[in-house]
Amino acid sequence: MPNKERDDDERERCVTGIDAIDHILNGGIPRGNTVLISGSVGTGKTSICIEFLIRGALDGENSLYLSVTEPTEKLLENVIPFDFFDERLTKQGKLQFIDLPKTYEKLGIDKEDMDFDQTRLLADTIVQVVEDQKIRRLVLDSVTSVCYRIKDQERIRDFLLRLGTELSAKGCTSLLVSEIRSSDEGYSQWGVEEAIADGVIVTGNLERRGDLLRTLQVVKMRGTTHSRAKYVLDLTTSGVLLVPLLKGGSVATGG
Amino acid sequence: MASVSVIADVADKLASLPDSSAVAMRLKSEQYFDTIQGMLDRFARKKDLEVVYVTTTIPSQSIISALEVLEIPMDHIWFVDCISQIMMSQEKRHPHAIIVESPTMLENIMLKVEFVLRKHPGRNALVILDSINSLAIHNNTKILSEFLHILVNNLRSRGAYTVIFSMQEYETEEIRNMLVLVSDETIELGG
Repeated sequence: MPNKERDDDERERCVTGIDAIDHILNGGIPRGNTVLISGSVGTGKTSICIEFLIRGALDGENSLYLSVTEPTEKLLENVIPFDFFDERLTKQGKLQFIDLPKTYEKLGIDKEDMDFDQTRLLADTIVQVVEDQKIRRLVLDSVTSVCYRIKDQERIRDFLLRLGTELSAKGCTSLLVSEIRSSDEGYSQWGVEEAIADGVIVTGNLERRGDLLRTLQVVKMRGTTHSRAKYVLDLTTSGVLLVPLLKGGSVATGG
Repeated sequence: MASVSVIADVADKLASLPDSSAVAMRLKSEQYFDTIQGMLDRFARKKDLEVVYVTTTIPSQSIISALEVLEIPMDHIWFVDCISQIMMSQEKRHPHAIIVESPTMLENIMLKVEFVLRKHPGRNALVILDSINSLAIHNNTKILSEFLHILVNNLRSRGAYTVIFSMQEYETEEIRNMLVLVSDETIELGG
């Protein structure tokens, strides 16, 4: 039986291009994993996801951003102007953006509460786009918003399992954004998402003696050994930067 | 009036050190601007280094004004200013100054240094920490030692010089121990 380290060596990686995250994950996200990026507002989830897609597209991997919460135009206006972003990526179709509400309309999903068939139709439609466009990196921002329309835990489980399994089979590495409140326990709104995901990366705010630090921690990642330490995050035009959280000081509250 | 001997002394001593050295620079208050001039105008310019100046003592604009008087070009000098924000300084911000909200945000200092270094790949760097005494006012010894240990080792692995200012008048036993722990060399300015 292969040991854990050999498994790590043998599993192909999706190198995120965010150096510190690749370092934390010993080389990147295992290819095909579905990873929950979980955190409260303003903690850097979307910036991490956008950088993941741009770096992938620059490296020749077709990348897709599914936006649920805000239209693409507004998203691009507000996102950090990364130095490494190249507009040709979108023109060439290497980096694509789809507003999911428009997909709902096309599919005739107009109810607030999706039934079983509509949930399956949505998952299959996303998978079809991934297959047609040969997508290797996908971001769903946010899975929480999609789950709000599915509502039922069993249907959420079915949607995520179907999506995760199919995307993995196609070699597509996915980041699912999970919105939580800073006071919430767990890493997702419904509890199902974190159980099904192959990985969980948590972003948060840590208050220390009146200073508010953005933090990131990899809680779970199947298929690789990884650091579980907390890091401090900075969102810059050069990309997402991380350094280890210093432990010498007294910490007033967790995050 | 500038002391030519201090300026030359600083530049010569730094030049004699190997790349990636971490240096504790023990100086007196009256040697402050001469030391800066020796490092920036003589040493860094001669070695063509990108300079990251972390100031936790006086606002970056005050140092920049002094550099302008001394006619030291700012092209390759960047400030990580950890003091202007908490002083609620209304001074205009120089395009080469990056603000850290407070000298207690040690991780953010590391992140801003990293940011500047990333902006200039392929160039060797000199990172100046001014000063350990003022950092010690805002941080306890444990977290400050941890910060210095991580920062200095990271810079060493990148081949960058690190110079940590220590004002002799304000040194404590703890500060001296910290400096011994993280630096390869101590330069003590006489006079």
